[in-house]
Amino acid sequence: MISLTNVTKLYGQVIGVNDVTVNLSKGAHGLLGPNGAGKTTLLGLVTGQLRPTMGRVEVFGERPFGNPSVLARIGYCPAGDIRERSVTPMQWVSYLVQLSGFTRHAAEKRAEAALGQVSLSAAASRPIGTLSKGMRQRAKLAGALAHDPELLVLDEPFDGLDPVARHDLVSLVKDWATHRSLLVASHLLHEIEPLGAGLVVILGSRVVASGPSTEIRSLIDATPAEVRVVCDAPRRLAEIVCRGDDARSLRFEGDNTLVIGTRQAGLLAERITAAAVDEDIAVREVVPDDRSLEGVFGRLVSLHRGGV
Amino acid sequence: MHSVSATEISPPPVERIPKTNLPRSIATIAEFQLRRMLTRSRLLVAAIGILFPSAVLLAVGRTAGFPLDRDLAALLIYALIPEAVCVLALLVTMCPAVADELERGTWIHVAVRPGGRRAMLLGTFAAAVIWTVGVGTLALVPAVLISGTNEAMHVFFLMVGLLVLSAAGRGALFALPAVIVPKRAMVASVGLALVVEYLAGLLPAVINQATVSLRLRSLLVEGMGWRRQIPAEMQLLIDSQPASVHVLAVFGLVTILLGTAVVIVEWRQFPPSEEI
Repeated sequence: MISLTNVTKLYGQVIGVNDVTVNLSKGAHGLLGPNGAGKTTLLGLVTGQLRPTMGRVEVFGERPFGNPSVLARIGYCPAGDIRERSVTPMQWVSYLVQLSGFTRHAAEKRAEAALGQVSLSAAASRPIGTLSKGMRQRAKLAGALAHDPELLVLDEPFDGLDPVARHDLVSLVKDWATHRSLLVASHLLHEIEPLGAGLVVILGSRVVASGPSTEIRSLIDATPAEVRVVCDAPRRLAEIVCRGDDARSLRFEGDNTLVIGTRQAGLLAERITAAAVDEDIAVREVVPDDRSLEGVFGRLVSLHRGGV
Repeated sequence: MHSVSATEISPPPVERIPKTNLPRSIATIAEFQLRRMLTRSRLLVAAIGILFPSAVLLAVGRTAGFPLDRDLAALLIYALIPEAVCVLALLVTMCPAVADELERGTWIHVAVRPGGRRAMLLGTFAAAVIWTVGVGTLALVPAVLISGTNEAMHVFFLMVGLLVLSAAGRGALFALPAVIVPKRAMVASVGLALVVEYLAGLLPAVINQATVSLRLRSLLVEGMGWRRQIPAEMQLLIDSQPASVHVLAVFGLVTILLGTAVVIVEWRQFPPSEEI
């Protein structure tokens, strides 16, 4: 369905994506990578907004750039917010559907159905500027799927949503992906994982790993992560942690912070909780280190380059 | 090579997406753009554009006395409406054709629709022409009445014709900077108007044949029957061909300029980031 062969995209001297070769069959796929990795550029190539500087991009067997027959089969939901604040979701979605070739009447019917699908019927006549971020995301999604595309491409669709809105949107997209193809870009694995999608991991403009989400998850789980624990007795907690075999490294930061390197962050968190109760240690924070995501991707890069 | 197979799915019967209808898409975008123009600030600017020519005519009339001389009235109305008001209205409607869409985040939604790019450009052009002709026509009514000319209907319809040609020609001209330098479209369009329309257009050379201003001046002279009164040296600033040739020349220019702008907007890539 989507085929990129040795695709490189340059913006002047800046590399968007670098020598990417990937084939995605019909079905649901996730594009995972940190901010600036090249996800949006890759989606731009797939949705015909950009031409590759080198290589070949094909969607449904044809080049997408400037190709109406391919574009008609794609629904794209970009990452940016809708900044057209005075129109209503109904007007907005209907406008986009009309641009896909439908008459005004047909477009209005489709817009109504799509807004119902994303549970936005009640707010369909309110100006977009008065809607919450979650509602605007849903309006954007309705605009992408109202013309019934064969491939839905979503760029960071869950960004900035609260957990409830995120859950609703995940359910909606998951349901949609049962009968159509889907490509979702995100920098958070846990956002893509529930979709049961095949994953493509992109970092530093290159594809560094791809495969079923279970495979990528086990790869990532095996990647050392750091957990930062702020408590009143970090040295006593370190002793307890050392009794188990899930810690790979320990270091102290200041008087009350313990940073633990581990391959089993979940198990470790459970042990810390139990220890805090049993040993009466006042734990104020247990947070994964901010660098852990970069660490995961860094690990994947080193694996990609043949490292251990 | 990375190959990813996801769970194979059997697509449900999909209702065929209709083929793109460019005229319908252009009309859709023109309607959307016109609705977007109905803001308080835009309406205020339009009101100023409508009243400004009448104010100038009132001021001239207080000095020269009413009714104004037929030729003076026609010349003033022409300079104020098919030239000044028209160019100013186009600068605020046509110039931000692409940049405004990029800033508002609508471009990306439209560019991924089949034929969306050209429909965006042509729809915005249509909206700009409709808006400009509307504002200009509303400005003409009081201006012609205030001038007190005894050929009010003739002057009015001549000016409406010139206004339509001016809006279409200059709108197409401003489409080029709008797609080539979207972020600097306004400045580039002002420069283009000054250099092409008001410098090259006044040069007594072949280059002025490719300007809208030469065609409009020639049509004004023809329409007002001034040809024989114009001194010989001023004859160089007009073209003596029949009116139909001038009208066709303007439409020819519109076709060439808009065609070029469409080719550029279809071919050009607007990166999905903030930098354009």
